[in-house]
Parts: sequence; C-alpha cells; structure tokens
Amino acid sequence: MTENRGLYALAAVAVAAMLVAAWTIFLYAPQDALQGPVQRIFYLHVSSAIAAFGCFALVVAGSVVYLWRGSLRGDRLGRAGAVVGLVFTTNTIVMGMIYAKPIWNWDPTQTWDATLTSTVVLWCMYAGYLLVRRFATPGRPAMRFAAIVGILGFVDVPVIYFSVQWWRTLHPGHVLLTARGPQLPPQMLLAFLVTMVATLYLAGVLVAVRYRLEAWRDAREDREVAAQLELASSAGAR
Amino acid sequence: MLRVVVAVAVKDLRAELRGRELLPALAQFVVLALVIAEFAFDVDGSTAPRLAPGILWLVLVFAGLVAFGRAFAAEKESGSLEALLLTPAGAGAIFAGKTLAAAATLVACELVLLPAMAVFLGSPISVEVVATVLVATVGMAALGCLLAALAAQTRARELLLPVLALPIWIPFVVVGGRAVQAAMSGQSLAAMPLAGQPLLVLADLDVLFLVVASLAARVVLDD
Repeated sequence: MTENRGLYALAAVAVAAMLVAAWTIFLYAPQDALQGPVQRIFYLHVSSAIAAFGCFALVVAGSVVYLWRGSLRGDRLGRAGAVVGLVFTTNTIVMGMIYAKPIWNWDPTQTWDATLTSTVVLWCMYAGYLLVRRFATPGRPAMRFAAIVGILGFVDVPVIYFSVQWWRTLHPGHVLLTARGPQLPPQMLLAFLVTMVATLYLAGVLVAVRYRLEAWRDAREDREVAAQLELASSAGAR
Repeated sequence: MLRVVVAVAVKDLRAELRGRELLPALAQFVVLALVIAEFAFDVDGSTAPRLAPGILWLVLVFAGLVAFGRAFAAEKESGSLEALLLTPAGAGAIFAGKTLAAAATLVACELVLLPAMAVFLGSPISVEVVATVLVATVGMAALGCLLAALAAQTRARELLLPVLALPIWIPFVVVGGRAVQAAMSGQSLAAMPLAGQPLLVLADLDVLFLVVASLAARVVLDD
C-alpha cells in the first residue's frame, strides 16, 4: 500500500480540483442569456474533449516510442492512454447529445457534421485499438499491431474532419481561439479554464493509475513466465 | 523492388485465375447485395437516383472487406505467408504486390457492380463515376491490405478487419460518396472549384495512405 501513497494523494487532489470546477460551473459562472442553464454543460463538454485528445496523443507518443525503441514503457503508456481517452470521449459524446437536445432540437439526420462524425470515429478507432490487443497474440505482436492502429487512427481523424467539412457544419466554431481573442465573458472564461485544468489533471491521474496497473500486470506475467521456465529447467535437469 | 512487386501481384492473380474461387463468389456477392438493397430500400424510379450512390458505396465497402480479407487469410491458411516472408524479397515489396493484386480484384468487382447498378437501378455510368471509384480503390486497397495483413495474424481476423477498416475508410466514402452523387445527378465534376475537386482530394488521400501503409507494412509483416 505504501507504494501507492503518491497515487492516492494525486487522486485526492483530483477530486478536490473537480469539486472546485463544479463550484465555478454552477455557482461562479453567470447564466447564459440565450441558452440558459444548459450552457453550463459547455465547460465540461469541451474540457473532456480536450482531455480525450490529450490521452490519444499520449497513445500516439507511446506507440511511436514503442515502434522506435521497442520500449515496454511506451506500450504501457499507449494502453493507459487509450482506456482513459475512451472514457473521456464517451463523456464528451454523451454530454454533447444532452447539450444539443434543447439547443439544436436534436435531429440525428441533421447533425452529421465534421466535429461529431470525427469524434464518433475517434471512439471507434480506439475501441478497435483495444480490440486488437485482445485478439492478437499477447506480447510483442499485440504491442506492434496496436501501435500501428494507434498511429493510423490519429492520422485518419483529422482527414475525416476535413472531408466532412465539405458539408455545412452545424457545430459551433471556436469561441476561444479566435483572431480577436476569446469570445467569452471573463467569468465564463475563468470557469472554463478552471474546469479544463481540473479535467486535464484528472485525466493525467487516471492515466497514471492505469499505467501503474498495467505495470503490475506486466510484472505478474514476467513472474509467471519465469516460474514456468524454472519448472521446465528443473524438469529437464532430472 | 518493382520486379518483386509485380511478381507477387502476378502470383496472386494467377492463383486466382487458376482456382477461380474469389472472383465468382465476389461477383455473386455484389449482385446479391444489390438485390437486397433493392428490396430493403424499396427502390422505385423516383428514389433510385437518390439512393444509388449510397448503395454503390455500401456494396463496394463490403466487397472490399471480403476481397482484402481473403488476400492474406488464404496465405495464412496455407502457411505460405511465413514462406513468402522468408524469401529475400522485402516485406514492403511483398505488401505492395499483394495490395496491387487485391486492388485488381476489387476493380473486377467494380466491373460487375457498375453495369449491375445500371441494370437494377438505372444508374448512369459516366467517365466521372468510373474515375472516382477507381481512384478511391487505390487508397482503400492500401489501407485495407495493411489491416488485413494485421488481422490475419490475430485470432479473430473476420471480426477484426471490418472493425478496423470501416472507420479508416470513412474519408473515401465521404469524398467519393459526394463525387458519385454529383456525377450521377448529372453535375460535371470538372465544374467544381479546384480546392474541393473530389478527384484531387481522393488522389491526395491515396498518396497519404500509400505512404502511411508502406511505412506501416514493414512493422506489420516483420516478425
């Protein structure tokens, strides 16, 4: 247990940070004049999307390191990032649907726009990444194949985004990164920044927890293989 | 390098022409898929022009899954993939050859699909439709063969290939779908602005994914 003390502390800080974020979302930020209370979904919706992208970027980084150096750590980072990224993508999609219901009068046939489509495909790609790991021969082949899929998915998603942009896009554009600076009132901006930092931190802690878990799993497999080898060699000696 | 690519492609196509397993089955698959679509969508004269491009891409994508899946599954079943990789030929060249053969198989499917669509759905066959489908085939074959090579080395290849290939093919379906829709409704693709010229976009996608797939092929095929 002592070796986990650091992780417990990090997790406790993450809970506190998310509570602060909840306070800024529900109590500090002003009500949106046009969209009403639903607009408060925005803070966590966008933050989870950014966190999901961050996690998948970790998958790509881990995959590249694995293919380049054959490093187990890179692969473990990929495994951890994919799982956490999937959770945040699911969160983004579900919150987006709830947000869209009153604002766009949710009509599924009208909402196949670039951002939505690429998010759903992103989800499918990294679900596929985890499936590859399950079906491939465990060990090096699974890591190799997963790394390929992890990188391929990241290449494909921007391509899909720009292909779908051909159709008119319904999803609101960037309110933060515009040429004239952020298009949000200062209190909303602060609430958003606090939520984003808290969410990214939470994602980081989850990846760290998952990474530790995968490290244990690898260590256990190593021990089992070593035990069997020992058994085989002692049987051979007799 | 080029000689090896051609040799592998010719080997695959010759085996196919002698065995005649995949092509007749695929042709039948394409026709049956059109019959199913005909009944499922309840196609009549007024809905056919609207539905035809979608049906074309649905059938093409699923025929592609079958064709590319076989390309590596057959090698794996007869245990000849390892033998092929043991030869001095590079993994990249073997991959390119198999992609070439699989692309030719899919083109053969298209040779059945487009006339069959003209018969069943009354869709016009124009140079633009043929060009779109052919240009899309190149990139789809590169990605499809890469993922088929990957899936063939896992336990559940029939399951894994669609799960991996379908999301990755979406750009081709998005751009190609729009191009075919425009071409079938009589718009001239040449009249479209250069920046959104579907054939150019598809060609760009081909180049991008050919490069990516050839880089990745070495990792997938190399043990």
